[in-house]
Amino acid sequence: MSVFDKFLAGWSFRGSRPDYAAGDVLEVMVTGEGDGGHVARIGDSTLRIEGAPEDAINTRIIVDVESWDDSAHTGRATYRKTVGESAF
Amino acid sequence: MTDTTDAAPPATDGGDPPDGSEFGVGEQNSDGPRIEFRGGKWMSTVPIAFFILWAVFQSGILGVGGADGLVIGALIGTILGMFFVRGSWKAYADTIFEGMTQRVAATAIVAWLWAGMFADTLQVGQFVNGLIFAADALNVGGATFPAAAFILCGLLATGIGTGYGATIAFVTLFFPAGVLLGANPVLLFAAILSGAVFGDNLAPVSDTTIVSAVTQDADIGGVVASRFKYAILAAVPAFVAYLVMGSVLPGTSLEGAAELDAAAAGLVHLVSMGIVIVTAVAGRHIVEAISWGIVVAVAFNLLFGLSSVSDILVFTVSEAGTFTSLPFVAVGETTGVGGSLYTGATGFFPLIVLTLLIVSMAQIMIRGGGFEAIQTFLLDRVATTVRRAELTMVLGTATINGMITINTAAEIAIAPYVARIGEKFNINGYRRANILDANTSALGYIFPWAGGVLVGYQVMVGPDGLGAEYGPEMVVNPIEVVPYVFHGWFLVAIFILAAVTGFGREYIPDRVSEEVSRA
Repeated sequence: MSVFDKFLAGWSFRGSRPDYAAGDVLEVMVTGEGDGGHVARIGDSTLRIEGAPEDAINTRIIVDVESWDDSAHTGRATYRKTVGESAF
Repeated sequence: MTDTTDAAPPATDGGDPPDGSEFGVGEQNSDGPRIEFRGGKWMSTVPIAFFILWAVFQSGILGVGGADGLVIGALIGTILGMFFVRGSWKAYADTIFEGMTQRVAATAIVAWLWAGMFADTLQVGQFVNGLIFAADALNVGGATFPAAAFILCGLLATGIGTGYGATIAFVTLFFPAGVLLGANPVLLFAAILSGAVFGDNLAPVSDTTIVSAVTQDADIGGVVASRFKYAILAAVPAFVAYLVMGSVLPGTSLEGAAELDAAAAGLVHLVSMGIVIVTAVAGRHIVEAISWGIVVAVAFNLLFGLSSVSDILVFTVSEAGTFTSLPFVAVGETTGVGGSLYTGATGFFPLIVLTLLIVSMAQIMIRGGGFEAIQTFLLDRVATTVRRAELTMVLGTATINGMITINTAAEIAIAPYVARIGEKFNINGYRRANILDANTSALGYIFPWAGGVLVGYQVMVGPDGLGAEYGPEMVVNPIEVVPYVFHGWFLVAIFILAAVTGFGREYIPDRVSEEVSRA
């Protein structure tokens, strides 16, 4: 990203329920567990993650989005790799 | 509005994604509580709760500024907490070390040391005098003086990174000139404070900017670029408000011509400042960016005769000898090392010690379970949606800064909660850093007990202050200033609106911060 782009980033109104699509590759913070897998809450949308390590909560991981429901703002993704952890 | 991302992985701006393990946090914090307290996990909050009460009493009630006193409060609080530990105190003592050795503290400390050297070198290089020259050249009158003071103080604070320093310099040099020219003293003082808020918020070398970035896993250059939109949206109406109110509010009846100690050459440090901002925003390491700024500032000082070598670095010895002919060796009554490089770095020592103690108190709270208990309460009862989470971050930061008036200390104390609450909704590090710093910077200069207001007021009422020199018209009651610190109020208002409307909101998948080691 150029210096100019950095200044222009975020000049918009972002919804509380972001949507994604199957095939997206995302970096997300794992925020909880549920239904035998992990969950990343992105705003008020929910991404269920399969295959993440047991201690994945509060880590940042790369996931492949497998499916996404635009009406419910929920999706399903598979774990690819861990890239970081919580700031605290 | 909702967005859908592209299929490609998020850009990392050339660097690998930040690795949280660099900070020595996260992994260790995921363990269960290791310290047991008599009275339960809430007792692990005793050290930091005692410290906050101390800070409120010292700065809010007694009006005593400075980080030195807070250091003692943090030390006593840390000792006090130990008496509530069940069993061996060793784990408690070990946790103090564990907290102090976290990368998050070290990163801030390194940045402060460099920023301090740069800021003081600009100050001895007559940067303020350059700004006074600019105001003089633009033929600024009494009605427009507050608006000009806001812009110029904002420029100085953005250059030197310390709103307190900019406030002292402007109240000392600029304020009497403006009042003598017919500007309203209350409005002028408020305009200076607004400029300090602007610089404290936006400067890459500001202590609060550095803390906001490193505690939220974000690079400083990226943080500065991403917060520009909020800063400018608050600054433009603030500037207009100062122009309008400057015409409405009357000046004092003081007579006399202002003595402006102007120096055009001092304006050359706009280049020194620009080099730091551009290189930092371009993604260079903050140590590299400020080092270039220091080199250029020193070169300008010497090249244009803005300061002597000894203003920048001096060894003072008691007797003349072989080396006293050197430009950086002087003879004086007290031996020692001095100059802007020295005072700039050492000026941060109390804040560095305080930071280490606050981070260790936070670690005690994490190890004792208190941190998780507060976080669970906030997430379960208060921050239940992303909008409420952001409002909690905004109002929580504003509240703690309203209580602890040394704003950097308040920012360090609230930073872990902003990080965790934000992360639970995948709110981007840049956004979290901006929420944290805007409210920290603003609230540090509005209320009568705020550190920024007090340092300016001290210049007016001190033994050789403006009141003694010019009379009571040159002293402003701090409570009168509160409604007129427009940039501070507008900044808080913009973040409340931004939390409600989603303006500027970014999620972690949207954009990855550059490495924090490049902070």
